[in-house]
Amino acid sequence: MNRRKFLESGLALTSLMFAPPLLRRGFAAEPVTFYGLKSMSGAFASYGEFAEKGSQLAIGDYKDLLGAKPRYVTIDTEGNPGRAVRKVQEAIQQSNARFFGGCTLSSTALAVGKEVNKAGGIFMTPAGADEITTTEFNPSTFRWTVPTYGAIHQTVRPLFESNPKAKRWYTITPQYVFGEALLAAAKGLFKQLGIEHVGNSYHSTQEQEYSGYLTNAMAAQPDVLLILGFGGNGANCLRQAANFGLKSKMTILLAWTQGLDWFQSLGPDLLEDVYIGAQYWHQVNTPLNNELVKRVREVYKISPNYPLAGDYIITKIILDAIAKAGTTDGRAVAKVMEGMSYEGPTGTETIRAEDHQVIKDYYLLRGKAKSAMKDPDDLATIISSGKSFPDPIKRS
Amino acid sequence: MLYIFQILNGLGLGMIYFLISVGLTIIFGLLNFVNFAHGAFFMVGGYLCYSLVALTGSFWISLLIGPLIVAFLAWVSEKTLFHRIYHLPHTFHILVTVGIALILQESAIIIWGPIGKNIAVPQELQGVVTLWSFAYPVYRLFLIAFTIVIGMILWFLLERTRFGALVRAGSESAEMVSLLGVNIHRLFAQTFALGVGLAGLAGILSAPIRGVHPFMGVEVLGIAFVVVVIGGMGSFIGALMGGLMVGLVQSVMSTVWPEGASLMIYGAMAAVILLRPYGLFGRA
Repeated sequence: MNRRKFLESGLALTSLMFAPPLLRRGFAAEPVTFYGLKSMSGAFASYGEFAEKGSQLAIGDYKDLLGAKPRYVTIDTEGNPGRAVRKVQEAIQQSNARFFGGCTLSSTALAVGKEVNKAGGIFMTPAGADEITTTEFNPSTFRWTVPTYGAIHQTVRPLFESNPKAKRWYTITPQYVFGEALLAAAKGLFKQLGIEHVGNSYHSTQEQEYSGYLTNAMAAQPDVLLILGFGGNGANCLRQAANFGLKSKMTILLAWTQGLDWFQSLGPDLLEDVYIGAQYWHQVNTPLNNELVKRVREVYKISPNYPLAGDYIITKIILDAIAKAGTTDGRAVAKVMEGMSYEGPTGTETIRAEDHQVIKDYYLLRGKAKSAMKDPDDLATIISSGKSFPDPIKRS
Repeated sequence: MLYIFQILNGLGLGMIYFLISVGLTIIFGLLNFVNFAHGAFFMVGGYLCYSLVALTGSFWISLLIGPLIVAFLAWVSEKTLFHRIYHLPHTFHILVTVGIALILQESAIIIWGPIGKNIAVPQELQGVVTLWSFAYPVYRLFLIAFTIVIGMILWFLLERTRFGALVRAGSESAEMVSLLGVNIHRLFAQTFALGVGLAGLAGILSAPIRGVHPFMGVEVLGIAFVVVVIGGMGSFIGALMGGLMVGLVQSVMSTVWPEGASLMIYGAMAAVILLRPYGLFGRA
C-alpha cells in the first residue's frame, strides 16, 4: 500500500465512522419531547399523580409525530414556583425544551409561562388565576381551565334561578389572589341578580379551623353559604359546616372544587345535597369523554378526575397542534392553537385566539345520597352546565 | 350571643390545642428534647383512627387502642434511636426528628395514599345543640368534657403519683434522680411514650372534625409550639392555659377581625414573649 492509497483508505474509514448518525438523521426524525410539569412531591402530590397519568395516556396514544414517537419527560414542580422555574430553565437551556404542560399552582404557572415565552415555546396549564389570560398574558401560554368569573356565573346563577327566594348569601373566602377573584366575581353577580350579600369571613390559606367563621355565618342567618376555598380549605370548611348542622339550616355551595378525588375523600354522607362547582365530571356524555373514561378504566382501573382529564387534554392539544403545524417552531404551533376547535372532555372546546383561553363548559353538581349511588364514583348529579367568560382584554 | 358562642368555640379549640401540645411540653420538660416529629405522631393517630374505624366500625375502639399503638411506636423509636441523641445539642434533635417526621409522612402516603380521608362523627355524638339561631356540635361538647377528664388524669399522674414525682424530679436534675437508684432510661422512655401517645390521642379526637391527610402533622406542629412557648416550656398548666388562650384568641378574632384570626395567634405569642420571656408558667 502506497502513501496515497493509505490516506484515501483512512479518509473513507473516517467518513464511515460519522455515517450512522448522518444516516439516522436522514431517515428518522428527532422525536418531539413534551415536558409534563407535575407536582409529584410536596403538598400537592395527590394532584400531580393524577395529572401525570393524564399526560402519559395522551403521549402513549401518539404513535407518530413528525416522523417519530413523541418522548415524555416529567418535571417535578414540588408544588414550589421557585424550584419549578429553575427546572424549566435548565430544560430549556440544556435540552432545548419547547413544549410544556401542567402546573398545579397558579403562582407556578405564571412564573413558568414567562420562562417558556422567553424561549419561544408553548405552555398550556389548568391553573386557575385569571391573570394568566388577562394582565399576565403572553403569546406562549394557554389555559384550559374556566377562570373564576365562569366558575361563579355557572354555579351561583343556576342555583339562584332554581330557588329565587334564597336571597341572603354569606361567603367564606381564602384571602389570596384566587379567593379574592372568586369573591369579586360573586359580588358582581350578586348585584346583578339582586342577591343580598349578608357577610363575608376571610381566612388564611393555612386555616384548619372554621368554627369561628361558621359561627359568623350562623349569626347572619343566610339562605345560602357560598364557600370559596378549594382543596383542603374547602374540604375542612364543608366538614365543619356539616358538624355544625348547617346543611339542614341553609344551602351550601362550593364554587370551585378539585374533582372526583376530592369527592371521594369526603364521601357521600358529607356531600349529600351540597352544591358543587366543577371543571370536569367523568359522567359528562361527550364522545371524547366517553372514550377517555373507557381508556382510563382499562389502563388505570379508576374513573378519570379533573387533574387527569385536564392534563390529558392539554397534552393532546399541544401534540395535535404540532402535528398540524408540521414543525416544532413554537410560534408556528401557537398560531395553529389560536382559534383551534376540537373535541374535548366537556364537548366541543375552542381556544380563543385573543387571550388563549379555552372556551369550555363548567358544571354545577349536587352531591348524591349514598342510597342513590350506582357505583362508588357516582357521587353527584349534574344540575347544569354552560359557558361564561368575560370578554378578552383588548391589547394594542 | 355571637361572642358567647365564639368563646365556646374557643374553649373547644383550646382543648384540642392543649391535648396536642401537652405531650410536647412534657417531653421537653423532662428530657430537654425538642421533638419535631410530634406532629407526625399526631397524624399517625389520625390515620390509625381511620383504619380502625374502617376495620371495626367503632370510633370508640380506635379511641381506646389508637393512642396505645402510637405510644408503643414512640417507645420503640425512643429505645432504638432517640435516647442516643439526648446528650447532643438541640440541632441534632431537630435533624433527627424532622427526618423521622418525613419518614412517617411518606409512609402514610404509601400506605393510605396522598388523598385525604374523612372520618364520620360517631353515631352517638352526631347532632347539634341549638340555642337561638346558633348551633354547637355535640361532638365538640364531648371533646371539651373528654379533654377535661384527660387533663385531670394527667394532672393527677404528674402531681400525685410516684411516677409524676420522678418525672418532675427528673426535669429538675436527671443525674440526681439516677444517682438515687431510679432507672432514668426507663423513665425517659415511659415519659416519651406518654407524651407522644397524647399526640396520637389528639389526632384521633380531631379526625372527625378535620379529617386526615398526610400533611396534617406539619400544620399542627406550628400551633403546638406556639402553645408551648406561650405556656412556658415544660409546664403542664402552661400547656392548658396556652391552649385555651390560643383557642380563644383565634375564635374571638374570627368575628372581630376574621382575616387576622390566624395572625393574632402569633401576635399573642409575641406579646407573651415580650412580657414574660419564659412563657406564662415557664421557668428561667
